[in-house]
This record gives sequence, structure tokens and C-alpha cells, in this order.
Amino acid sequence: MTLQQPALAATAALARPARRRDKGRLFQEIGMLAPAVALLTIFLIVPFLLSFWTAMTNQPLVPRPTPVRFIGFTNFLRILKDDLFWISLWNVSRFTFWILPVQCGLAFATALLLHQKLPFRNFFRGLFFLPAITSMVVVCVIWGTLFQYPTGPLNQVIGFLSAGRIQPIDWLGDPNWAMFSIVLLSAWQAYGFQMIVYLAGLQGIPDELYDAARIDGANAFQRFWHVTMPGLRPTHVFVLVITTIQAFKLYTQVAVLTQGGPRSSTETVVHYMVRTGFEEQKLGLASAVSVILFLIVLVIALLQRQLLRRFDV
Amino acid sequence: MGKRLLQALIASAALGVVMTHAEAKTVIQVMHQGDPGWVTTYGDVAKRFEAANPDVDVELIYAPHDAYNEKFSAAVMSKQLPDVMELDAPFLANYVWSGYLQPIKPLIDQDILEDMTESNVAQGTYPIDKELYAVGLTDSSVVLYGNRKYLEAVGARIPKGVDDAWTREEFEGYLEKLSKLEGVKWPIDTFRGYGIKTEWITYAYGPILQSAGCDLIDRKTWKSVGTLDSDPCVNALTMMQKWVKNGWVVPQSSGTNQFFAEGHPAALAFGGHWIYAEAAASMKDDIVVMPLPKFGPKGVSPNGTWIWGITTASEHPDIAGKFVSFMLKDKQYRDYAKEDSAYPGLKSFAADSPLYNVGGPMAVAFEQASKTAIARPPHPAYPAITSAFMGAVDEIFNDGDVKAALTAAAEKIDEDIEENDGYPPFDDQQ
Repeated sequence: MTLQQPALAATAALARPARRRDKGRLFQEIGMLAPAVALLTIFLIVPFLLSFWTAMTNQPLVPRPTPVRFIGFTNFLRILKDDLFWISLWNVSRFTFWILPVQCGLAFATALLLHQKLPFRNFFRGLFFLPAITSMVVVCVIWGTLFQYPTGPLNQVIGFLSAGRIQPIDWLGDPNWAMFSIVLLSAWQAYGFQMIVYLAGLQGIPDELYDAARIDGANAFQRFWHVTMPGLRPTHVFVLVITTIQAFKLYTQVAVLTQGGPRSSTETVVHYMVRTGFEEQKLGLASAVSVILFLIVLVIALLQRQLLRRFDV
Repeated sequence: MGKRLLQALIASAALGVVMTHAEAKTVIQVMHQGDPGWVTTYGDVAKRFEAANPDVDVELIYAPHDAYNEKFSAAVMSKQLPDVMELDAPFLANYVWSGYLQPIKPLIDQDILEDMTESNVAQGTYPIDKELYAVGLTDSSVVLYGNRKYLEAVGARIPKGVDDAWTREEFEGYLEKLSKLEGVKWPIDTFRGYGIKTEWITYAYGPILQSAGCDLIDRKTWKSVGTLDSDPCVNALTMMQKWVKNGWVVPQSSGTNQFFAEGHPAALAFGGHWIYAEAAASMKDDIVVMPLPKFGPKGVSPNGTWIWGITTASEHPDIAGKFVSFMLKDKQYRDYAKEDSAYPGLKSFAADSPLYNVGGPMAVAFEQASKTAIARPPHPAYPAITSAFMGAVDEIFNDGDVKAALTAAAEKIDEDIEENDGYPPFDDQQ
């Protein structure tokens, strides 16, 4: 993640004066780092180590008369043997696979549109960003109404447009449609963020490049393909990675609208974790899920670093 | 302007000091759930209790229904258990076993204890020591509501009481006939719209299993494998799966009002007593209340509702008990409950609820309490039992393999019990 970059820079800065044995500056820099390091330790590192420890026990959510025991990797084995976990992992992958093109495509298209010198450009930029600052729960409740079967607005519009030839779709109640419906509303809610990132990327491309291309006789498509696209390469990578990581953490929409159903078709890893932890009150098991999820996201983050290096940013 | 703001701040801070000083009273924390109407009612009860007991402050803590256990767990973990808590009856065994509730008999007015119906006593009793741990004004039941016009159109027999409830053959025959009737979109609403992770599933569909001759778990050996995945259960859920497959059941995404919504798209409703008020208001004389059908050798109906217990963390259990007694006798509280078509759990409240009296429109529902009601399994593994069963029902209603889904659920339940060393002393209860 790009968040790591400033931290790396800071470490580098720390290393240099140390070599020069400039103690005054060293203390100053340690002092400046201390609050962040302390907070990260308390709120990130310690909890992570604790959850790794909890994952090795049969710790219940709330104290029980039976003793808490160290049970090694039993929880991990149990999860890896649970079909539901694999289903939820598969579902999240499916979700990611669909939402990447839908959400990033939508964001890219609107960003291109809003980068043109249109009247009321800023007004539209604000308008298109509105869903992103709306609470996901609110969006879910509204879309839940739109999705109603068989007489919800969405089905009525489709029925009208197809002159009744397309039968009403049970968007959230049909295992074949439920995840796709979640993709639709998630993309609509969240694309504003990616759109802003793309807009920033577009604004970062120097006008001189376009001017030069124009002088060379490039048409609009050639300018897009040979100037805009290469100029946006780091933006593309960033957007894809951040969207993937967010997609893996899919939870709110599922918790509000489908609770993982129908027939586990929208069960996700995080929802599975919350359920084992809170509903079944198995904190140890839930911690093991969280450790596994961490490892998965870590692998994605590492792959991203490789990608970033290849694209030389 | 800035000065005035500062003055106001100082004034309010001073007021705060005065207030905290005045609060050298006993504070009773009451954790509850409920619809907005109930929340207001509890607030009013608390005010009246404070007026009658000036040295006590009642602090109400609201937790939403669907996240109640999460909120309760959070309170346990942060050692902030309330004095009085509302709890869903089937979770009582788990709470008592975990050591959160104390016996309530010595803390509650004697006349209330004598006033409780059998089913109300049953829902508040812990099976190990047979002590009472919670009381309530109300209880609950599920009945089969019908639309008179549709029932007459298919020539259905309308049962007079619990004893001549429809048999499975009759019931399924009517479903089929209703499915072909003009104006009926769905023969029955089983309230799938409540969701797939809701206690409704176990509460309302569990009795169908028991009626068919099996159960969620064997109540002697406390083993689920061999019971939940036995033939009668597989058979019962295969039957329900068939209803869904045939398009006879209101789908989950169509809401929970199709029985009494405009045009009355659903002909029957396998519904809780609490929908009566709203349904009757919309359907007038067309609403028929019938006992739940017999799906096997005997008819079974559910019971149990949200009841009041006193926690072991309470520093003033006597005052907590006083509050519970006060509330259960409070006239306005009872009036509100009556308006909400609440199902009586106290005899005096039953006598005062014409809806449920002999000859009243919901008399059948009350008759079920003494004739067919079976409580959900009073075992500390209940959270795991209900969670596993909900998962299986979702799988089955969406075309999954019935036997496989029930076997997986039964194994999950047994696994949970094993993991907790059999929840002693439940393990040697034979």
C-alpha cells in the first residue's frame, strides 16, 4: 500500500543521521516517531499478536465455567476443513472478480467525463461523489427496497422496458443473483473514491504532452491511448490494488441485506468471522479466521509491491 | 457572543456538579430491546418507578433486537452487566449456566409468582436446579391465520379448536387448491422475510419438526446427530422445501406483510400472535385464526418470549426485583401490551385480555399454550443449536440436499457441545 511509503522514507531518514552519529538529531527523530510507533504498537501490533495467541486457544467470547485451553492449530485445521470457509473465500473472490471491472470501469469512465471542460463541472464532480460519502447501511436499505421481489422498482423498470418479456428477478433471494446484486450496489456506493483518484491522476498528466501529441498529428483516440493511458499507469495499479483489498473485506452489505444467504451464496470471510465470533461465541475460532484473512491480504499487498516495481513507480 | 458561550459552559458544568452530587441515589440499570413504542413505554414505567421511589434512579440501556446478544456479550466482557436484563427465553439456560443470572423467586412479589401461567414458569426455569430465573408479563405463540374468502372458495374446513387442527394431508391439499385460486399469489406466508439469521426460524419451524416426531436435539442425551438428521426431520423439511419449490411460500424478499397487504396476495399466514393487531385492522372480519396443523402424531406450537431476569452482577438485587414487580403490575405497561395484542403470560393479564379469552378471536392461540406448546431446548448450547438450524433451513429452502444440510447442522451442534466438555452438569443428565 502507498501508506507504507512515507514510513519507509522516514526510516531512511532515520538511518542517515545515525551513521553520522548526530545524536541530537537522532533523539529528535526518535521523539517524533515515538507517538506513531507507540500507537501502532498498542492498536495494531499487540492486538495482532494477541489474536494470533487467541487463535491457538478455545477462548469463548464471554467467560464460561469451562476452562480455556491451549489447543495449538486445531482452530486453523477446523477452518480449513469447513466447507463454509472455502465457500466464503470463493464468494469473496467472485465478488472481487466482478467488482474490479464494474467499479473501476465506472470510476474511470466518469473521471474521463468529468475531466472534460464541461459547464458545471465541479457541481457534477460533487454529485458523482455523493454516494461515496453516504453511509453504506443507508445505501443498503435503499437498494434493498429497489431490489424488492417481485414488485420492486428495479423489476418494474425491467418489466416495462422489456414489455413484460423478462420475468421479475429475485435479486437478493436467488442464489444465482444475490452476489451480483451486492456487486451492483457496492460499485455504485464506492466508485466515487476511485473516481477522485483517477481525476487526480488525469490532472497529473502535463498538458505539454497532449500539445506535443497534437503537433505530431495524433487524433483523440491516439492521444488517449499513447498519452493518457501510460500517464495513468501508477494510478491504475493503485486503484486495482486498493479495490481488491477493500473487496476482500466485504461485510456491511452482506450483514444488512442477505446475512450470507441465500444458501451461503453471499457468505464472505469477514461475515464468517463475525458469525463465529459473535453468534457462535467462539472467539478463538474467529481469531484464527482473522489471522488467515490477514495472511491473504498480506499476500495481495506483497504481489502489489512486485507490480509496483515492475511498473517502476 | 464568545463570552456568553463561556458563561453557558460554566453554568452547565456547575449544573453537572450539582447533578452528580444529587445522584447519591441507588442506580438500577435495565437493559432491554423492543420497538419504538415499547422503548417509550419502558421509559414511562421507569419514570413512574422513580416517582414512587425517590431514592432510586433507573437507567435504561437499549440494545437493538437483532444485535442483542452481541451487545450483551460486550457488557459481560467489559464487566458492565446491568442489574435487570430482558432476555430471549431460549437463551436463559446459556446465561444461567454461564453464571450471569440469579434465582429470581426471592426477589419478586409473591402474587406475581402465583399469577404466572405454566408456560411462563417453564420459560423462566433452568432445568438443572429447577429454579426460576426470569419472569415476564407475556408469552408467545404461532397460529395459522387464514383469509376467510379464500378458505371458503376452496371449501376448507375451519377447525373449531386445537383438537381438530388440520392434518398434514388436509393442509397440503388446501395449499395446492389455494395455489390455483384466482387472486392468490402465494398460498402461504411463513415469514421468510424476517431474514435467514433470525430466531424466528427455530422458533416457528422447530414445532413442525416436533409435530412430525423429531426434534432439534435429543433432550435426554443432548445429542443432535440421530435426532435432527433422523427420517421424520428429513421428511418434514423435505415437505417445506417442496412448498418453497412449488412457489407456495412468500419469498424472502417480498416483505412480511403479504397476508394483509392490499389485495391480500397470501392466503394463509404461519405467523406470530404479534401480527394479529395489524392483520385484523386491515382484514376486519376476513381474518380466521386457526391452530397450527398436525404434521405427524401430535400438534405442536412454540412458546417463549422476551422475559426479565436479574443478573449476578447486581449490587441491589432487592431493588432490581422491586422494579421488575412494579413494571409487571404497571397499568399503563399492561395497557400498551394489550394494544400490541401481547400474548398473556400472567393469569391476571389473561383475564384482562378479551382477545385471548374463550370466545375471543385469538382464543385458539391461548388454548395452544396448555395443549401443544413445547419450549425450545433448554440447554446452554442453544446459541449453537439455533445458529446451526438457521443455516440448514437456508440451505434447504434454496434447493439444497435436505439430509446433508441437517446432518451438517447436527454435527455442528454436537461439536459445540463436545468442545464445551458437554456443558457440565448437562452431560450427566440422563
